Amino acid sequence: MKTLLEIKDLHASIGGKEILKGVNLVIHEGEVHAIMGPNGAGKSTLSAVLTGSPAYEVTAGEVLLRGENLLAMEPEVRARAGVFLSFQYPVEIPGVSMTNFMRTALNEKRAYEGKEPISAKEFLGLMREKKKLLELPDKLNNRSVNEGFSGGEKKKNEIFQMAMLEPCLSILDETDSGLDIDALRIVAEGVNRLKTPENASIVITHYQRLLDYIVPDFVHVLADGKIIKTGDKTLALELEEHGYDGIA
Amino acid sequence: MDTMVLHKGEVFERVFVNEEVNLRIDQEAGSHVKIHVINAPFSIAVNQLEEGCKTEIYGLEHLHGEEKVIAETHVTHAVGGGTSNQLIKFVLDDHARGHFIGDLKIAPEAQQVEAHQTNRNLLLSENAEMRTQPQLEIYADDVQATHGASTGQLDESALFYMQQRGISKQKARQLLVGAFMREIVDSIGDSYSDIRERLLNAIDGVVE
Repeated sequence: MKTLLEIKDLHASIGGKEILKGVNLVIHEGEVHAIMGPNGAGKSTLSAVLTGSPAYEVTAGEVLLRGENLLAMEPEVRARAGVFLSFQYPVEIPGVSMTNFMRTALNEKRAYEGKEPISAKEFLGLMREKKKLLELPDKLNNRSVNEGFSGGEKKKNEIFQMAMLEPCLSILDETDSGLDIDALRIVAEGVNRLKTPENASIVITHYQRLLDYIVPDFVHVLADGKIIKTGDKTLALELEEHGYDGIA
Repeated sequence: MDTMVLHKGEVFERVFVNEEVNLRIDQEAGSHVKIHVINAPFSIAVNQLEEGCKTEIYGLEHLHGEEKVIAETHVTHAVGGGTSNQLIKFVLDDHARGHFIGDLKIAPEAQQVEAHQTNRNLLLSENAEMRTQPQLEIYADDVQATHGASTGQLDESALFYMQQRGISKQKARQLLVGAFMREIVDSIGDSYSDIRERLLNAIDGVVE
């Protein structure tokens, strides 16, 4: 199994306050890793740092994506290289249509891979196919990105974008928050169907619920900026029963 | 300043691109004024002198370098039963300076008027500057009048969201600026569809 991502002794802070205090994690192709932990443990910080959010400062450690220095890349280059974040709070972009947004994103990735821009016909076909996967309405194309979307639609839209861009590493940040059971099922099925032997996912979640649908190979407990315990999927059940205090 | 009288029921619809506008229009009953000014200074005064008039003024100024533009509107409802809508937007880059002066008057006898004035501005550079001077004089009580002015910067979270999808920061900025300007261009009527499409294409390809 090839190594996809290596996080080595990663320290990061925001406004001078250290949030990540030495995270170590190795992810191979084909794996699903769940990261669980109490509020304020640094779960969202980890996803922000991996994707290059300007709000955080990496103070020590390194991250390699297929052996390359991920932290040296601009956020858009990380994305083109295949790192995808399903945002906990997807951003509304009034006036930018889904079509325009998605086509721009896809063509930037294709250019990075040395491919020609996608034709209009092929693009619309791809949009149609992927919308079906997430049970999203046809009218999505002309709507502004996330504007006026319900909580469930926003999360489906994240996974839809993931389906369009086919990343090698998907980070799902609290994708289950604010979802009813039907939307959760659709989102989880979408994620499961996008799984290949070459890609991997990091599922960040506070609750065990999502992991009934997206079954992880590994569960890590992040507390106070460090991974304090790693186990298989049964660890998530244990956490649900005993809480984080019972682990630490 | 050019002065014109718009007679009963007449429609005056114009789109001015890169052309300075100095205009005073007196509107008679049921007439309709719809003016767009794109990338040029303007001073437009409209007086609704009789009932049932409609006035629409749209301005879009995208300024660079040391450019300095004043946009000025004076809308007066002398009688009731009319509507007016003003939407003025500035996009300011580099050391550009924008100035909006907007007078809206509703006379005591001008009841049942609907009047809106909105000024939205986007600062793309720390050195750009916007000054907004709205002046509202509303003497009638049975009216619906709104006023809004805001000046802001590009939404950093939207920029990051787009970068996270592989879109370069420059292209992301371009998309957001285009989205901001599009509202004005979209409101250009079908009689000027050729100009509208040309402007929409320019917005999509706009390079800061």
